[in-house]
Amino acid sequence: MSTLEKLDPVTLEVLRNALPAIAADMATDLLRTSYNMMIYEVQDFCCALLDREGRLIAQNVGGVSHFVADLGVIIKDGLNRYGADGFQRGDVIITNHQRVAGQHLNNVCVYSPIFAEGKLEGFAIVRAHWVDVGGLSTGFSAASMVSDPWMEGLQLDQIKIYEAGVPDDKVLRIITDNIRYPEASMGDLRAQVAACKMADRRYGQLIKRYGADTLDRAIERIFDDAERKCRNAVARLRDGVYEASSFLDPDSPGADNVPINIKVIISGEDMTIDLTGCSQERKSALNGRTLAGAYIAYKGLTGPLEPVNEGSFRALKVEIQEGNFMMARFPAVMASWSRMLPSVVDTILKALAPAAPERIPAAHLGTLGGSMTFFGVDPRNARKFILQTIEGGGWGGRPYEDGESAAVSVCQGDVRNNPIEAVELKTPVRVVRRELRNGSAGAGKHRGGFGQITEMTNLGEGRWSASNAGRRKFPPWGLNGGRSGTSSINYMRLSSEEPFKPFDPVRIMCAPGATVRVETAGGGGWGSPLERDPERVLNDVLDEFIDRDAARVDYGVMIDPVTMRVDTEKTKSLRTQMAAETKQPEGGAR
Amino acid sequence: MSLVVALDIGGTFTDLVAFDLSTGTVIQAKDSTTPYDLSVGIRKTLAKSGLPISRVDTFVHGSTVAINTAIERTGAKTALIVTQGTRDVYQIGRGNRPESYNFLFKRPQPLVPRRRTFEIVERLDAEGEVVVELDVGGVAPIAERLKAEQVEATAVCLIHSWANPAHEVAVGDQLKKLVPDLFHSLSHGILREYREYERISTTVLNSYVGPRVSRYLQDFENLLGDAEFRGQFLIMQSNGGAMSPETARLLPVATMESGPVGGIIAASETGRELGVCNLIAFDMGGTTAKVSLVQENEPVIAQGYFVGGEASGLPVMYPVIDIVEVGAGGGSIAWIDEVGALKVGPRSAGGHPGPVCYGLGGEAPTVTDANLILGRLGSDRFLGGEMQLDTQAARTAIQKNIAGPLGVSVEDAALGIIKIAVAEMSLAVQSVSIGRGHDPRDFAMVAFGGAGPLHAAEIARELNIPKVIIPRVPGHFSALGMLLADLRHDFVRTYYKPLAECDFAALQKIFAEMEASARDLLIAEGMRADQTSIHIYLDMRYAGQEFPIQTPVSAHAIAEGDMQALRAAFDRSHERRFGHQAVHEDVEVVNCRLTGRGRRDRVQLPSTSVGSTGSGLIGARDMIFDGWGGAARQCPVYQRDELPAGERISGPAAVSEYASTTILHEGDVLTVAASGELVIEINRGH
Repeated sequence: MSTLEKLDPVTLEVLRNALPAIAADMATDLLRTSYNMMIYEVQDFCCALLDREGRLIAQNVGGVSHFVADLGVIIKDGLNRYGADGFQRGDVIITNHQRVAGQHLNNVCVYSPIFAEGKLEGFAIVRAHWVDVGGLSTGFSAASMVSDPWMEGLQLDQIKIYEAGVPDDKVLRIITDNIRYPEASMGDLRAQVAACKMADRRYGQLIKRYGADTLDRAIERIFDDAERKCRNAVARLRDGVYEASSFLDPDSPGADNVPINIKVIISGEDMTIDLTGCSQERKSALNGRTLAGAYIAYKGLTGPLEPVNEGSFRALKVEIQEGNFMMARFPAVMASWSRMLPSVVDTILKALAPAAPERIPAAHLGTLGGSMTFFGVDPRNARKFILQTIEGGGWGGRPYEDGESAAVSVCQGDVRNNPIEAVELKTPVRVVRRELRNGSAGAGKHRGGFGQITEMTNLGEGRWSASNAGRRKFPPWGLNGGRSGTSSINYMRLSSEEPFKPFDPVRIMCAPGATVRVETAGGGGWGSPLERDPERVLNDVLDEFIDRDAARVDYGVMIDPVTMRVDTEKTKSLRTQMAAETKQPEGGAR
Repeated sequence: MSLVVALDIGGTFTDLVAFDLSTGTVIQAKDSTTPYDLSVGIRKTLAKSGLPISRVDTFVHGSTVAINTAIERTGAKTALIVTQGTRDVYQIGRGNRPESYNFLFKRPQPLVPRRRTFEIVERLDAEGEVVVELDVGGVAPIAERLKAEQVEATAVCLIHSWANPAHEVAVGDQLKKLVPDLFHSLSHGILREYREYERISTTVLNSYVGPRVSRYLQDFENLLGDAEFRGQFLIMQSNGGAMSPETARLLPVATMESGPVGGIIAASETGRELGVCNLIAFDMGGTTAKVSLVQENEPVIAQGYFVGGEASGLPVMYPVIDIVEVGAGGGSIAWIDEVGALKVGPRSAGGHPGPVCYGLGGEAPTVTDANLILGRLGSDRFLGGEMQLDTQAARTAIQKNIAGPLGVSVEDAALGIIKIAVAEMSLAVQSVSIGRGHDPRDFAMVAFGGAGPLHAAEIARELNIPKVIIPRVPGHFSALGMLLADLRHDFVRTYYKPLAECDFAALQKIFAEMEASARDLLIAEGMRADQTSIHIYLDMRYAGQEFPIQTPVSAHAIAEGDMQALRAAFDRSHERRFGHQAVHEDVEVVNCRLTGRGRRDRVQLPSTSVGSTGSGLIGARDMIFDGWGGAARQCPVYQRDELPAGERISGPAAVSEYASTTILHEGDVLTVAASGELVIEINRGH
């Protein structure tokens, strides 16, 4: 029964905490019961609770940030398809169709309507990365070879796989017959359904206890409050029109650099992020339908630790046109749907550096990390295996401290690399080394973080992929006089007799003994390197991150080779001389 | 005379509880903790207790030295020795950023810098086979560097040492020979489980806190020795067990989270005595509330945690009682945020200045102030009347900071503060119960800590928990639990294979080795063979999953290779935890685990209330409960010490005792158990 009493501040507060807890518990359950490392290690999933209209009530935080608040379109599309009265309790709908979902097909959404007292009250949804959805290749390593969505894999467009609790075995068979690891994906599907059921139960309890009306009013208020907090945060930024540009590498042979032109308008408490100057739809797979670039930047600026709901983005206006490569139209190829996002976020931040100079860091690795994939059949037990790991890179120097090293991108949150011992326990691969990449950090008063080097050799036959993440030509930039970090690069050799050559394997069949080495980018530096505390430069030398030459050439710091101490006098004169020579600092964003 | 003593050092107080088993007397003493030199507080507390230390049989100690050393970063200058190619694994960690939208996130700060991390030439594979022979000669130049840089401790963690410790042992032998005065830890000696970063971090922490913990324990033993102590001295561990100081010196990382475990052990023992085996232990103090689960009279164990929080903390892969902590305590501050929402905590007024009503200068309204306004705390009975509380000051603060801005009455604001704190604590209870696949209705709640009994009935009501138990001495419950702890040692060995392909002879050998280590350790710690017991588990999962479930198994099933029994046990565990099982999926074994216990002679707690004949009723005061429209009613107040066994009290009512007050809501019925616990049936009378 609905209650008619006024919404009291205490009930509001109780619900404000209870709703995100449901989304968080969905995530915990999914994580613990899923069957593929893309979910349990990479955390490539999101869980959410939405209202009857598909507005976001709560979403889990921690996993992959580029899924932020992007499930509403799925539910709204489902409502268009089936109508608000077209759902029954126990329905489970599956969808990954790029017409609306706009991501690579591996990201499979599963959702269920929530009913209370016979009325539709909302939806619970889990989007999770399935290991395989059929098509040309397992995983997503073949993105560069895909020329249309049908090559990419199975397209599921708002299909009811359960109706009123009864599974549609025919549909399920079509799915399992057309994917490569049906056991794993059906396990993941079970986990997705279970998480939705849990949310249904928990949300139902809240409705029963507080009444749907109270819940509705609380939710409106929670949205309003979230919006208000964001507006307050934007009001603290300096008003103005800010612009910045960057590029991604050409995405196919002969193509031009891919432009990212950003305009941000801050006016009082309103922010507009204009993406219309970014590239049009690409012929390659570098397309998606996503506002995540703008959303991630806005969220990071307005309240990174606050829960995510519909109100979190209501005060943000995103300008983007149909046909933009981030608002691509089906059947554009979207296999690399998120590859541009880390650079888009960084470019938005770069534009905003003058609006919040005390908080904006230099650029980070700018890609979705160094990804390594190896798959085949394990000779030890004749079982199919896939090894996947995502290696972090350097983050930009901050206005007050050095950037962090070897961390995943701004689009990836609680995404973990695969432990060396886990890799070797489960797959016929030896990890030769995993280390920080010396000298890769952009110099600066606050230098960037270091990139990472990971090297692996396969002991059994299989296929390697370690793709170029698309920012080789355009390294992570420095800010305010800081220098760029070093770009990423991959190497390969087919046997220990050969030298390493720069190479980006894509599903390359290898006999045992091939080695792949992935080197991720270092972060950009913040501020002039000549202003860096010489003792901190010395520390980096003692830690062997840079050598004495780099200390001298990049930072103007002279270190006595015998005492291994800073020579203060020589440093002073060298820095004076260098400052005179370089009146204009390199690589700085003006 | 037979005396057992527990000494628990908290952030504020050093707390001693002793039992004279021959007479049934309880001795309690408290003094301020002295962080600059803990022994000062210890000496004062011992002196205050007046105990004849020379006649104490058992002395159990819970120490925060290890955790404080790690958090304050005041540990030893430590060096790390790793396999070639893995020098930076400790710095790189897992590369993750749990605060995913925070572009100014902080990574964990390693305790060993790169310049003190040394690589050694050697390599094993995941089967433990040698791929590259160990270059033993490589240790000597490292040892020279350690001497030159005056390093105090070393941690050795080589890849796949969990499968074959030979290389670590050889490196360790060299180090002991070349730099014998340093504190050394070898990773396999701490845990033999795969995942190198977590194992490195655990090993480094052990070495980092090792020298300081060793010195501290030595000082403590000297102090006891000076007092002619001749009994058994035991140290508490994070896993809820106790160990000898000799073991603690080698494995200080095991004491890291031992602070809150005493209360949970006492809770499970209380349940055992009352015949209740599934419990929610609820411990609410001044700044936080801690919740954990006791299943079948055993505290639930987690296999790891982070020192310093998950987002930027250092991982420890070592068994710990699974505790969820929230920032809601008696001192938690109520405030209104920028959008006008009423919040409680996580900021706390602590003990000083404390709540407004203490009159010590606190100006921010707290949970305690709200309780006072609602009459749930009496202004004149706090700490047995030692402290007078200022109700008017509490009202003024709540009016000004909360009721005024929200446009509600002071009473409603106070009710709201309690409700929000209760809701937050209920979420914590949910996450240890529902969140782990258990229905709270199947549990009884044991509430302790200064503020636990005040709020337990309301939380229980919220989650339909039918029964709340208020133990004896809820304020000293943690120290009490330490007296009840068994000796306990946990062992793990990664053994990764599909269940169908398991070599059960190999499994039996692994368990036999672990069992021998466990028994040797327990016997060395003074246990008789008939006091020891061994419990074995397999971590299993469905093929393809990552997170295994620790499943108890029988030695018989391992000996017989009874795969059916093993998988059935796992299917049941999975069903219970996650609500579904997959009987057609292959099952994998990931780890073998073994717990060795040394059961100590049980301390029989003297009953506190037996013999009372009065009704215990000492008066009445105005109280306010939910649903009364903010109006106060006179409710009876009882004195716990004077309640006779078997007495029944119906809510609303309050039961006062030194340092704690139990609140009954309308419909709650309290019965005093024969052994003195207050057993409350929630909402029974309606």
